[in-house]
Order: sequence, then C-alpha cells, then structure tokens
Amino acid sequence: MIEFNNVSKKYDSADSYALKDINIKIEKGEFVFVVGSSGAGKSTFLKLMMREEVASSGCITVDDINLNTIKKRDIPKFRRRLGIVFQDFRLIPNMTVFDNVAFAMRVIGTNEKKIRRRVPYVLSLMGLNEKARKLPKELSGGEQQRVALARALANNADIIIADEPTGNVDPQMSYEIVDMLMRLNEAGTTVIMVTHEHSLVRCFDKRVIILDKGNVVADGGTLVREAATSHINAASEIANEYVVPPDEDYTAYIGETEAVEVAVEVPNEVQAEEITVEGGEN
Amino acid sequence: MGKLNYLTKEGFRNLKVNKLMSFASVTVLFSCLMLVGIAFMLLVNINSFISNIEAENVIMAFVNDEAIDLEVKKVGIDLEKINNVASVERIGKEEAYKDILSELDGDYENLKTYLENLDENPLPEAFKITVSDMDSFDQVVREVNGVTNVIRVRENSELARQLSDLRNSVTYISVGIILLLLIVSLFIISNTIKVTMFSRRLEISIMKSVGATNAFIRWPFMIEGVVIGAVSGLLATGAVWLINELALKELLQSFMVVGAGTSVDFYKYLPWLALIFVFVGVFTGVFGSVTSMSKYLKERKFVELDEE
Repeated sequence: MIEFNNVSKKYDSADSYALKDINIKIEKGEFVFVVGSSGAGKSTFLKLMMREEVASSGCITVDDINLNTIKKRDIPKFRRRLGIVFQDFRLIPNMTVFDNVAFAMRVIGTNEKKIRRRVPYVLSLMGLNEKARKLPKELSGGEQQRVALARALANNADIIIADEPTGNVDPQMSYEIVDMLMRLNEAGTTVIMVTHEHSLVRCFDKRVIILDKGNVVADGGTLVREAATSHINAASEIANEYVVPPDEDYTAYIGETEAVEVAVEVPNEVQAEEITVEGGEN
Repeated sequence: MGKLNYLTKEGFRNLKVNKLMSFASVTVLFSCLMLVGIAFMLLVNINSFISNIEAENVIMAFVNDEAIDLEVKKVGIDLEKINNVASVERIGKEEAYKDILSELDGDYENLKTYLENLDENPLPEAFKITVSDMDSFDQVVREVNGVTNVIRVRENSELARQLSDLRNSVTYISVGIILLLLIVSLFIISNTIKVTMFSRRLEISIMKSVGATNAFIRWPFMIEGVVIGAVSGLLATGAVWLINELALKELLQSFMVVGAGTSVDFYKYLPWLALIFVFVGVFTGVFGSVTSMSKYLKERKFVELDEE
C-alpha cells in the first residue's frame, strides 16, 4: 500500500509549493491514473514515491516503509520493488533488446543463470521474443516502450510506475500499452500511470487522481473525474490544457488487441512469478 | 565473485564501447604524464650536470715546506675531519712536479727546460679537497685555512656560489612545473571523467531507477579509471624513454662539453618512473572517477535525464 499523509513539498529554489497537503492512499493491486497539466505536481509526486526527493512535511509510506526515514543505503533495495517506465523509453542504444532487459538484473547483481531464464520470459510476456537480438533503433516506438516495460518487470516489481509511457508512441500503441499495464495489474501488480491524455484515461474505468497546482482536485472513478474536469474548466483557463480532448479517439481501438495466450517454456523457478497475459505482438 | 567478474567485465566493455572517450582520456593523461616525465628527466640531468661541475670545483690546500712527512700526514687527517668534506687527496710534490712538466709541452718548452734545470722541486706538498655540500663551501675554506701547516688555500668560491644558486633555481622551477602539470592533469582528467559520466547518464539513470547501489554503479567506472591510468602511465614511460634517447641525451651531451661526465643513466630511473607513472595514472583515474561519480550520483535525479 502506498500512502501520502498530509504531504507537502517545496523546493529550495521555488517560491510556491510543488505539492501541498496531499492525502492519497493507493491499495495493493490498484490501477491509478495520475493526470495533470505541466506544473501540476505530477513529477514531484513520482519523485517522492521513488524516493528521489524527500517530503518537506507529512509522511509517505510504501508497504510500511517510511520514505522520510529510510536509510540511504536501503534506498536501492527499496527501488528494486518498483518498475519504472519512462516516456523516452531509456533503452541503451548499443545493447540488444535482451541485454537492455538483462541490464536491469545485472546491475543489481542477479546471476547469469537466472537472467537467462527470466529475460526470455518477460520478453515473451511483451510479445518480444522474436526481437531479442535486435537493437532498439530497429524497433518501432511501441516496441521500444514494450522493451522498457519488460525491463521494468525483469526484477519482479510489485509496483509499476509509468511516467507518460504513451507520450512517444502512436495512438493505437498507446492503447495497447495501457491495455498491457491493465493486464499486469489484473495479475496483481500495482500500477500508477502518469499521463496528460484524458481521452486515453476515459477508455479505462479506473481510478483517476487529478493534480492541479500541487493540490489533488479530484480522486475517484470516471464520473468523479468528469465532474472535476468540468469544474476546473469553468474555474481556470490553465486547466483547459489537460481537458483538451479533441485529441485521438482511443475508443476506436478498444477490443482490437488480439487475445493471444503467451506460450513460452518457463522453467519451474519462474512459474511462480508467471503472470498470465493476453495480447501481444500485432 | 560472479558480481565482481561482471563489474570488471563491464568496466572493460565500457572502455570498448566508449572507444572515443577512452582514447581521449588516455591521450590527455598520457600527455600530462609525459610532460611531467620530461620535466623530471631534465631536472635529474641538470642536477647531475651541476654536480659534475661542482666535483671539479675543488679546494687546494698547500702545506708549509718546512713540514716533515708526519706533519703533512697530520694535515691530511685534520682536513678529513672537517664537516662537508667529501674527499681529501694528497698531491705529493714529486707527483705535482711531473704533472706540471708533462703539461708544459709545446708552447711552454722554455719554461719546462727552466724547471727541469732547477736544483730542487719548488712545488709544495698539497691536498685536493672536494666539498659535499656547495652551500657550505665558504665554511670549509675557512676551516681549511685554520689547519696547522696549511700556508695557502686556492679556491673558487664565486663559482661554487653560482652553481649552488643555479641548482636551487633549477630544482624550484622543475618541482614547480611538475606540480603544476600534475594539478593540470587532475583538473583535465576530472573534466574528462565528467564528460564521460555525462555521456553515460542514460545508463546511470537506468541503474539508479532499477535499484543498483552506488558502489555497483561506481565499480565499472573505477575499473575504467585503473585501466586508463595504467595504460597512460606505461605509454608515458615509453614516450619519456624515447624522448630521452632521441633528443634529451643529445641536448645534454652538448652541455657536457662545458662540464664533465655524461648524461644520467635513464635505466636507473626507468623502473621508478614506470611505477610512479602507473601509480599516478591509476590514482588520478580512480580518484577522478570516484569524486566525479560521487558528486554526480548525489546531484542527479534519474527522473530528470532529459532536462539538461
């Protein structure tokens, strides 16, 4: 469980608060969209959750680990529970898909034997087995983001934090990526996805937290979000930025992804970690 | 052990993958060390050159003609007791006489004949004294003058003073240049590492985001630092040897016409030079990596990779 209790964050260089008196509780296994315009506090929210920043006041706990008091030497261990996906994929250009995923395991000291079993497995979950020997530049944007997702899964993360994962991919792939996150969530992984694409969020009936100028202005299901956005629309012109909706109509892609059972030979040790995923390469 | 293997391999892989950056680092460190080496060899050679000249700057002490052999021997013993006297050599009057006659061939034939026809040897017994520390040359001269039966002293204190000043100046300037070059090396290397680090920020940000410890992130960089340092150190030793063989020796040989002796034996210094260079190279590489890395790891947020 992730809990923000009266959390405020003010940077030394800034006059105003990046986050002000935030109270958020995310249950284990939940899927949450965090929406907000530029400067709303999304990045600060993520940084606090990843323990890149420390709250100026209030308390943040992740599975009973207090991020305000966690010792520096325990931070890397804590981060191994998170799988982070970035908008710009962050794949190492001179490494193959296999090595990019394996890299996340190697740098925390996992042995090669386990890597050779685990990497093909997570690649198969993402429908990327055929691309294992390719370099990132030989893949489409969507495929690159799936590699990044595979890397986030490599270390068996309990929580996936996706920072604008659909920002650099086409609308169909955006839908598929969220769909894939959704399936991981169904298998028990907590997913927190930051986005500014409201129309994409509307396609999925999940909890939405809307941030504006460092405050939580709405937190709830689709109806709450709709109500909040209209309220903000009326109250502030700036808020229009993220209500923009005449963007892509993602509903067109609903149901388009094929339900493909992932058929991979998984060694016994990995079976326990297996996540049943539908969908895959198109 | 597996981790260590991986990290070491990773260090070597990084060197290979970042060929251009590795080449730049080796070139920079190699150049600095080579300049330090040349400055050091010049210092050693000039010092040796001055020492050779100093060795020629002796004090001659002439003994009273009346002194009997035992008294002359006593003068020798007294002279040896003086501080900073490196050696005392007795020049017997017969020996000196023969030397003078052999030097008076050719143009001084008349003088030679005159001397040969004298009834008795006019030269006094003498001692040739070499001084170990030129700074105390004047003090030694004073003490030689005070020895019983020494009737006259011949010396060139002005030359001794000038040589002493020259040696001090050369030492200060050389040490200054060497220190300056080392500081410049450290500065350049730390900047090169910063550039390397910046060019590798993607890998570092991924490492941090997946929970790699700072020690794990640092290790491959340290391996790189060690390899770059060791390679630069060895290359610099080779280059200094080559420069010494091709240019320095020739240059110093032309000076040696003025003074005495030859240039110093480079091979005597070679193992030390190689050891110091490799040590300085490795130290600079590792120190540069660790300090730049610590600063980088402390300051950078992996979320902000593209906000440069």
